[in-house]
Amino acid sequence: MGVNMSESPVERIKKASRGLRGTLKESLLDEHTGAIREDDQALVKFHGMYLQDDRDRREERAAKKLERLYSFMIRLRLPGGLLTPERWETLHHVAGEQSTGVIKITTRQTIQLHGILKSHVKPAISAFNKVHLDSIAACGDVNRNVICSAHPKYSAIHEEIFPYANKISSFLLPKTKAWYEIWLDEEKLAEVSEEDPLYENRYLPRKFKIAIAIPPYNDVDVFTNDIGLIAVVEQNKLIGFNVAAGGGMGTTHGNPETYPRLGTVLGFVKPGDLLKVVYEIVTVQRDNGNRSDRKLSRLKYTIDRMGVDVFKAEVERRSGVQFEPAKKIVFTYRHDNYGWHQNHEGLWYYTAFIENGRIYDDEQVQFKQAFFEIAQTRRAQFRFTCNQNLIIGDIKEEDKSLVEEMLDKYGVIKFTNEASPVRKNSMACVALNTCPLALAEAQRYLPSLVTKIEAILAKYKLQNEGINIRMTGCPNGCARPYISEIGFIGTALGKYNMHLGADVIGTRLNKIYKEGLTEEEILYELDVLFQRFVTTRKKKEAFGDFVMREQIVQSP
Amino acid sequence: MLAGPKLQSLNELLQDASREELIWISGYIAALTSVQQPAKETKVKEFVQDASFTIPACTVVYGTETGNSKKVATDFSNRLKKQGVQAKLKSLDQYKINDLSKESCLIVVMSTQGDGEPPEAAKKFYDHIHKNEISLGHLKYGVLALGDSAYPLFCKAGEDIDMRLYQLGGRRITPLRKCDTDFESDANGWIDEFINAALKFDNAPSGNGSVKTKTAKTGKKIYDGTIAGIVNLNDRGSNKETYHIEIATEEDINYEPGDSLGVVAKNGHAALNKIFELLELDGEEELIYKEQTYKAADLFRSKINIQYLPERIVQQYAKLVKKDIPLVKMDLADLLRIYPPEADQRLNVQLLVNILDPIIPRLYSISSSPSSHGEKEVHVTVSRSKFNVGDQVRYGLCSDYLSCLAEDDELQFYIQRNSSFRLPAPDTDIIMIGPGTGLAPFRSFLFERDAQGHQGRNWLFFGEQHFVSDFLYQTELLSLFDTGVLTKVNTAFSRDQKEKIYVQHKMQQHAAELFEWMQNGAHIYLCGCKDPMSFDVEKTLLNIIATHGNLNESKAEEYLIAMQENGRYHKDVY
Ligand code: SRM
Ligand SMILES: Cc1cc2nc3c(=O)[nH]c(=O)nc-3n(C[C@H](O)[C@H](O)[C@H](O)COP(=O)(O)OP(=O)(O)OC[C@H]3O[C@@H](n4cnc5c(N)ncnc54)[C@H](O)[C@@H]3O)c2cc1C
Ligand SMILES: Cc1cc2nc3c(=O)[nH]c(=O)nc-3n(C[C@H](O)[C@H](O)[C@H](O)COP(=O)(O)O)c2cc1C
Ligand code: SF4
Repeated sequence: MGVNMSESPVERIKKASRGLRGTLKESLLDEHTGAIREDDQALVKFHGMYLQDDRDRREERAAKKLERLYSFMIRLRLPGGLLTPERWETLHHVAGEQSTGVIKITTRQTIQLHGILKSHVKPAISAFNKVHLDSIAACGDVNRNVICSAHPKYSAIHEEIFPYANKISSFLLPKTKAWYEIWLDEEKLAEVSEEDPLYENRYLPRKFKIAIAIPPYNDVDVFTNDIGLIAVVEQNKLIGFNVAAGGGMGTTHGNPETYPRLGTVLGFVKPGDLLKVVYEIVTVQRDNGNRSDRKLSRLKYTIDRMGVDVFKAEVERRSGVQFEPAKKIVFTYRHDNYGWHQNHEGLWYYTAFIENGRIYDDEQVQFKQAFFEIAQTRRAQFRFTCNQNLIIGDIKEEDKSLVEEMLDKYGVIKFTNEASPVRKNSMACVALNTCPLALAEAQRYLPSLVTKIEAILAKYKLQNEGINIRMTGCPNGCARPYISEIGFIGTALGKYNMHLGADVIGTRLNKIYKEGLTEEEILYELDVLFQRFVTTRKKKEAFGDFVMREQIVQSP
Repeated sequence: MLAGPKLQSLNELLQDASREELIWISGYIAALTSVQQPAKETKVKEFVQDASFTIPACTVVYGTETGNSKKVATDFSNRLKKQGVQAKLKSLDQYKINDLSKESCLIVVMSTQGDGEPPEAAKKFYDHIHKNEISLGHLKYGVLALGDSAYPLFCKAGEDIDMRLYQLGGRRITPLRKCDTDFESDANGWIDEFINAALKFDNAPSGNGSVKTKTAKTGKKIYDGTIAGIVNLNDRGSNKETYHIEIATEEDINYEPGDSLGVVAKNGHAALNKIFELLELDGEEELIYKEQTYKAADLFRSKINIQYLPERIVQQYAKLVKKDIPLVKMDLADLLRIYPPEADQRLNVQLLVNILDPIIPRLYSISSSPSSHGEKEVHVTVSRSKFNVGDQVRYGLCSDYLSCLAEDDELQFYIQRNSSFRLPAPDTDIIMIGPGTGLAPFRSFLFERDAQGHQGRNWLFFGEQHFVSDFLYQTELLSLFDTGVLTKVNTAFSRDQKEKIYVQHKMQQHAAELFEWMQNGAHIYLCGCKDPMSFDVEKTLLNIIATHGNLNESKAEEYLIAMQENGRYHKDVY
């Protein structure tokens, strides 16, 4: 099987890499450049890092005869997105000493640091390693961070399900010890076999993503993942998982063969069978995915090419597990519930609004300082949400006021309270100035656009509507814009395609409404739409549903 | 016409004579034939042999900073050898001072540096003869002084040596000759005279202390340039400002990689305004300076140094205003403000102008290559010198002047040759050590070698404070590296980590390979800041030679000196 075309260059690099080592060690020693060698740029991703450059500075530096301002972005492997206070402290220091200082919560529940110079990468990693944090396989053609519904309050057995994230992540880790050798200068141990029956020497055709949702909460956007696992709980007992496969967001402008896709539910499996099934879905993709055209190599295309039934049968054959019919589950939420909440055990959780996941200090609010001081008390843990927010949690009743005082002192509570519902439900990807693929601004721009949208909403007395807005700087879809009520997808600087009509819980894709809009055009369109919304909306109808009902965009 | 042994000896003489020597010989013979009887063949031959009669042995010593004096001295010594004279060539820092009293014939070629001081390498010699009463009654000598007439104390160090040797009893073979920056033809002429005079010396008068010295006419070629581009190479956040300046001309610029560009800066308007206010001048007044009449505004703007006047001038000013002023350097504006003439007296501006020095030129290593950037363009790499006086931020005169130039501004300059800082044969390897603006001539070298297709390998050591902001010419160096012209690059960024790392540390890190290159005949070039960089680098070189060559300290020193004397170790430090 597979596709008989010449393999893409990345395939050659992977196979020749001797367990993802390549010439990374040599690249790090190159004194003449802040970059690493070309092949190593593909390999370093498997180690959880990207070589980037400050795109704002390209022209000016070129005039100065300086190379691009290269630096590394590092993404931690953090299954389920949980950090102990000790680890938060380390993160805080590494961010301050080695990176731009901003701690970025991603749409997949982990953190990224940007702007780490080549000479600072090893010190940063060694600091992380001291508190047992790593970035192995956080990127690259492997299984990435496994995400899981973040808030423990939604389920009494969150604690039982949550560890599956870590279990799956560890189970699907590549066997190579290159990460330790390259970044921590550990000796290569001859007696430790690096034989990797899962990844072999070719790894996967493309990135691979797994999410676990604990209904009724779909904060993870479970259907946008290569494998979406939906915990099925009956009478407070985990009885198994509905398994969906073939979700993915990324498209390419002008390439009609690419499309966003929601995962197809294959059926139900028991907890004991879960790992086997997940493993074999990965091997089927490994053996059947497109290795010549990376634009068409995600599992979603493999499944559509094979046909869902053939694919499912192959997974069953390989795993020896038959899918049972999917169980009924109900999702009701996707957004974060801000502020204080208590779980079934009486522990407290504060969900702070972190606009676009950027944790920093400025005059108005000192997120970093607040979280650092809370970490120092050791009275709380840190949990990231897939909506780029932070939950300070697992706080005992007697410690709550202490934590609250700090959140208050540094303006976090005020910031969270004062943000409008639409702002709190909006999300943007990183885009400029670090993302090399960005065609337009996203996280640097969305806040100001939202301010203007707030004004229009207010004009129609819609200011309490938490319409879900997502923006990305390109069609790769890192903020999952294809599944938002209003999606903006950058086409060029200052221009966005506008998508409308996903549902609130993340089970329906939106549709393109208009192409290449400027800000002025966006605001004009929204004004018209909101006006129509107030006049013809059904009771409690969500904006996305209204748009579909009114056929403002064509349903699928 | 010539036959047998005569022809043979003439051929022997001509065989390995340089082009210049041939020209000289032909001129010499022409001169001889014009004054003498139509020469008989034997006469010529006799003369050639006779030349060795009066001076059987002669020591040629030189004191140099940028290698000009060395080049002249080397030529000189070669020519003496060809004349059959046993000529010994020595750099003054290698010269054993005790040998001086044994010397019968000495030629000193020496430049002037600083404010009329001898070059670093000649200091010991200079001080020794000035501090000690040595009897040099039997010494015959000649001094050739190199300098730049743009400096107030033109050829001062050479003058001092000439006078002192005379005071100690030496007899001049030829009078002191002061050469300006275009010294080649003058130096040649002096050597002719010297040889001529030496032939007849025993009959010649010994001269007196104030023997008339000849000053070469200043033949400095001034180019009119236009700024074609200027950019600060340092990125935001740097402590440095280093300007890459491209200067275009209408005519071809005659220079080679390794040469420097000389510029006379203009004074800044802010300082001038202060001075004009203090002197109550409006700028239109006519003043005389060095026998020429100028408008006050022009004179002060482009001729007279008003910044950081040396003690010498400050004291002359003290006399003029009849005040006691401590022995300090000072800006003219401060001097006028803090020590004005008594209330009832007005300062005669002409008298003030009479004591002031001209603005001296500053040199900048040329960072372009004629083969690569064309002959009508020259580049320099200027670090804007910035310092604090009290709590005021101040800038160095010339680097500030250049840094503030804008595209299309005009700039006059001249070329300062540096014949001891030249690329070697095309297939010879070179090691370039050039932190900071020390990189400038190596940019020229690399582009030249690239354009000429030289096969020798090129290894560069560069250093600055920060990798991100201070890697001068990084993209150019990267493409030279990618195309293989630059074989190796090692960089030291001192402030990117806790402990300071400098080029010498990188050299030490690659010591074995560095020594291997040296053993294989590589040339070493060192350029940039003299103190402390060049001293530290040299120490490290010696250490590498000692360790990897299995030599003790003094043998290692000999090794490096030999390299220097064989023209394989070149320094251009400032
Ligand atoms: C940080 C993050 C966005 C954010 O603001 O939070 C992000 C940032 C980037 N994504 Fe993403 N992606 C992020 C979640 C996503 C998601 C959302 C999700 O997974 O839930 C998607 C859509 C889902 C999917 O995979 O289909 C996503 C689809 C992509 C794609 C398109 C993949 C495709 O199959 O078409 C690319 C480009 C690629 O892989 O070639 C990409 C590539 C990138 C890169 C690494 C650009 C690159 O390849 O050089 C971006 C780095 C920007 C920067 O400077 O930090 N990213 N990316 C998210 C990090 C998640 C994590 O922690 O692992
Ligand atoms: C062969 C050679 C090559 C060179 N190549 C280069 C090159 O490629 N690039 C380069 O940038 N430079 C080069 N230089 C150095 C250059 O010639 C100048 O010396 C340098 O630019 C400083 O000159 P300036 O006129 O700016 O400073 P100046 O005005 O001469 O001042 C020099 C120093 O004097 C002191 N000073 C001056 N005024 C005052 C005051 N009022 N109060 C207190 N202190 C004061 C300060 O310490 C100041 O840094 C080279 C020098 C030589 C000899
Ligand atoms: C920093 C500096 C200071 C100088 N000072 C004087 C000087 O005071 N008087 C002078 O006549 N020439 C001065 N010169 C000019 C040099 O003597 C002249 O360039 C000469 O050719 C250098 O010869 P060298 O290469 O043997 O050192 C100075 C040159 C430099 C670079
Ligand atoms: S969506 Fe595009 S622009 Fe935004 S982070 Fe992802 S790849 Fe970059």
